[in-house]
Amino acid sequence: MARKRGRGVAACWYGIARTATVDRAGAWAEIDDGGTAKIVTGVTEIGEGILTVLAQIAAHEIGVRPQDVTIGDNDTARSPEAAHAGATRQTYMIGNAVALASRQARAALVEVLARYWNVDSRTIKTAAGEVWAEGTNHKMPMSEAVHIAKSRGVVPVGSASFGTDTTGLDPVDGSGRPWQAYVFGCQVAEVEVDTLTGEVQVLGIWAVHDVGRAVNPRGVEGQIEGGIVQALGQGLMEDYRTVNGHAATPNLAKYILPTSLDVPHVTSVILEDPDPIGPLGVKGIGEPAMIPTIPAIMNAIYDAIGVRMTSLPATPEKVLEAMGRRARAARQPVAAE
Amino acid sequence: MPELRIEATVNGRKVARAAKPHLRLLDFLRDDLGYTGAKEGCGAGECGTCSVFVDGVLLKSCLVPVAKAQGTTIETVEGLGHAGGLTVLQQAFHKAGASQCGYCIPGMVMAATAALRANPLASREEIKERLGGNICRCTGYQKIFDAVELARDVRNGRRPASALAEEDPVDGAFIGASVRRLDAPSKVSGALKYAGDMVMPHMLHLAVLRSPHAHARIVSIDTSEAEAVSGVEGVITAVDVPGIDGFGVFVHDQPIMARGKVRYVGEQVAAVASEDPLVARRALARIKVVYETLPAVFDAHEAMRPGAPVLHDYAPDNIVKHIPIRVGDVEKGFAESDLIVEEIYSTQQVEHAYLEPEAGLAYVDHDGVVTIVSPSQNITHHRHMLSRIIAQPISKVRFIMSPVGGGFGGKEDMVYQGMLALMAMKTRRPVRLVFTREESIITTAKRHPSHTTYKMGLMRDGRIRAAAIKLVSDGGAYGMSTEGVMRKAAILAAGPYSIPNVKIDTYGVYTNNTPSGAFRSFGALQSQFATETHLDICAEKLGLDPFAIRRINAMRDGAVTHTKQTLKSVSMLRALDATEQVSRWETGAPTSRGDVRRDLAGEGTRPPCTLGTRFANSAGKDSESEVA
Repeated sequence: MARKRGRGVAACWYGIARTATVDRAGAWAEIDDGGTAKIVTGVTEIGEGILTVLAQIAAHEIGVRPQDVTIGDNDTARSPEAAHAGATRQTYMIGNAVALASRQARAALVEVLARYWNVDSRTIKTAAGEVWAEGTNHKMPMSEAVHIAKSRGVVPVGSASFGTDTTGLDPVDGSGRPWQAYVFGCQVAEVEVDTLTGEVQVLGIWAVHDVGRAVNPRGVEGQIEGGIVQALGQGLMEDYRTVNGHAATPNLAKYILPTSLDVPHVTSVILEDPDPIGPLGVKGIGEPAMIPTIPAIMNAIYDAIGVRMTSLPATPEKVLEAMGRRARAARQPVAAE
Repeated sequence: MPELRIEATVNGRKVARAAKPHLRLLDFLRDDLGYTGAKEGCGAGECGTCSVFVDGVLLKSCLVPVAKAQGTTIETVEGLGHAGGLTVLQQAFHKAGASQCGYCIPGMVMAATAALRANPLASREEIKERLGGNICRCTGYQKIFDAVELARDVRNGRRPASALAEEDPVDGAFIGASVRRLDAPSKVSGALKYAGDMVMPHMLHLAVLRSPHAHARIVSIDTSEAEAVSGVEGVITAVDVPGIDGFGVFVHDQPIMARGKVRYVGEQVAAVASEDPLVARRALARIKVVYETLPAVFDAHEAMRPGAPVLHDYAPDNIVKHIPIRVGDVEKGFAESDLIVEEIYSTQQVEHAYLEPEAGLAYVDHDGVVTIVSPSQNITHHRHMLSRIIAQPISKVRFIMSPVGGGFGGKEDMVYQGMLALMAMKTRRPVRLVFTREESIITTAKRHPSHTTYKMGLMRDGRIRAAAIKLVSDGGAYGMSTEGVMRKAAILAAGPYSIPNVKIDTYGVYTNNTPSGAFRSFGALQSQFATETHLDICAEKLGLDPFAIRRINAMRDGAVTHTKQTLKSVSMLRALDATEQVSRWETGAPTSRGDVRRDLAGEGTRPPCTLGTRFANSAGKDSESEVA
């Protein structure tokens, strides 16, 4: 049989937000006319869906719908600092900042309504564009509540900053508190290796990742699936090469990327171990998603054909070469044992 | 050459325009007609972001000379949904979460539309083949396949139209709900403007002169001939920097343009601006740079040896950063161990390959604020650095984030925004720069390659007693994120395992190679690749199942990390249990038992790719015969 299958497993851990330094993010919130909400923060949507995540958080906390939330563009002259898009930090840092700012804006609105209805502010509930006082007949759309607040001289706004309690590393032994939130994960890969060509196909990946609390499960899956395929690229085909400093792979004809025909079926399982520190319990997923994939694939290749791929990428040429070495070694008499 | 007269029907409208004969159909659609839904990802027909229909045929418009458009009927992504609405397929992309950064999505929507036009009942495997010419770097494709299948089923009545709609959670509990992405409609329709799609009145185009040498002293730069070219509005070099030149994520060792010497091939040396991008590009050849080449070093280990060529005066040993981590006594731990396993692991440089090449637009506004619009991943830090470089207060420097067409860490470095700012200040006109794919690949940061020496000592029962890990990484010509990458690689190197004796050293080193920088998973991918492969080798030698060896050593609630931090809650065991269960893992030591496993080819796997056999079969060949 020219095609052999195998499976491998690998785990991972990762720290959330900036490493070995204090991280911070700021956000402003306003419950706006028409029962909408406005969030302004220095967030950077790089494709992960953070704008939708922040809109969900604001909607959840204020009591409107995500589609009623406007998020101002990131602009250093117009929005509070929320630092960079990286380090698997935006849901954690900016999500928590937006939650705190949204709670403050909501509290300002609720305070007006408590006086207006003459009820205890703790009985006032807000959800999906409606405001009501529990145990009473008081109920109105958010748009009317905003109008009442403004006619009493109150614009319901909030602002918040979320920061981490972290330290640098000791320069001698590395001790320190680089992050306040950690995530863990594990993946299994199933591969098929063509022993005639050396080609490896990854047919399935089962991925389990702790994200703290998933704000948008479909978005989390998207991060896991995308991370796995990027890792598959590095594991099996991508190779930026230079010769005396000159790029030998300067375009997409020479630099090979995974296409729709290269990708495995991915089964994602979202694990929720809430962060005990932040107000939301969220952590993150962007980077950890791709860490176990490569070793899981390499371990699966070993399971299939008995060769250890310790140098990336495991191209067909390198797989065949390793198989050749193994076959030659098997023919040699074993001297050492 | 005289201009061509192009008459065509584009998105249902008759168009009659003069066009320069050297243009590609992509340029004509984007620059002359304003249909920026078609994106340029590679300019070579490799990525599919520029896909359009010409007389109903799916084509990559970067490969079509504009003359070929004469008399044709063209559809772009903007023309698919009528009057601003979305087609069923576009709605399905929205519902399925098929768009992330969105830059490949217009092309992907075109290819998927073509797939369902060709075969309204296409299977998932056929859909994959028909999308094979379009690259997506964010999604992993799975949600794109889901979207095309959803559209297929809704159009065929197998699923109701309501399957495309939002499902509201009960009680407004929007945290935890798979709300459809709010930005998806703008991405699937091609309406979203990325930096390279933006234009301003009176705008100039920037072209960049780059170093042909890996290491050389710049003896002189003469820009006078280039400045004299008709149509050239400005030329800039390092002498145009008014403040303290230098940027970088951790160490500010990189000048806006080469200053005194070049340190890698492709480093920016000078830039030219013109209303006509062709004039700007041609004028680059008129800049005379005299170089004196210097000995160069291309290997991280060689760069660490005494006497190696030195890149930066401040680092005479070429070391950007060394991060040590020490727990217990590894030598004692190895002496106590029943089994010692040693191995060497290496990983390569990897390109981010976001589909959107670097692009930006800069101008000086009415209040004298130097404003840069770009898909940067870190505009707050860029603002700080640029303020010092151009000697202006923070309030006179403004960065605006444009939609990011993929980043993955590669857009954290301020590699081109400084040039845009300097040219806007010099010409007092808006200036735009759009990298070619080649510029993007050759000149921007890569994932750090790594060389890891690994030694692990274990007890017979699988407990790890000691781990010594040394990782050396080629950081290339500039520091960029190397320090941070080495730190994260070190902290996480030994994996989520409680190990009493640990010695970790990571070294980031300067060489004259393309710089390495931030890339999703930031050093942890490299060091944990070594650890997780190593554990499999150890498990085989000890006859342990790979889940079992990880469980024996896994950090648990209250564990102390290798940096001596106490963790409250550790989900590692839960992750192992869940993975073992969901993958239906057959227990056993990793002894190459692929041939006898009984957990293969089940749920959660796709069929192996047999590209072309389906077409061969449909061409009337014997469906039983195997294509070798």
